[in-house]
Amino acid sequence: MTTTATNQLLPLELIDKCIGSKIWVIMKSEREFTGTLLGFDDYVNMVLEDVIEYENTPEGRKTTKLDKILLNGNNITMLIPGGEGPES
Amino acid sequence: MQNQQEKSPTEFLNNVIGRPVLVKLNSGVDYRGILSCLDGYMNIALEQTEEWVNGQLKNKYGDAFIRGNNVLYISADKSR
Repeated sequence: MTTTATNQLLPLELIDKCIGSKIWVIMKSEREFTGTLLGFDDYVNMVLEDVIEYENTPEGRKTTKLDKILLNGNNITMLIPGGEGPES
Repeated sequence: MQNQQEKSPTEFLNNVIGRPVLVKLNSGVDYRGILSCLDGYMNIALEQTEEWVNGQLKNKYGDAFIRGNNVLYISADKSR
């Protein structure tokens, strides 16, 4: 079960390929974001543009539009390339 | 590659220093103010700070320090 690194893609390389395209970010809490990924760092703090923030509450889903944000990587659970978001 | 450099988290922060920002905490509370400075922990110093809870203005502070562990995101604030 040894894999050589010839055509293996590291997790962060996958995210690197997403730069410039839409991405869907799911947080630890009941919060999600979609937006265009402009960049990220080693902590997976992310710079996103044309963002929609989804906040899921018992009363329903609240959405907020944001221009450009730096999202703290601390509470990110999952990143999904394509960025359809929770409403697709 | 150069494009990526311009849009990295550090570069974003360099661009918003001195500008109006919206800082959202993990608790959901929003702080709007002028970003005076910040560090690698996302500790933030704001000026002319407004505290917004559930879309309502709750408080105003001249200067405010926000400890970085609470920060969910920092957004460039167009509304100011």
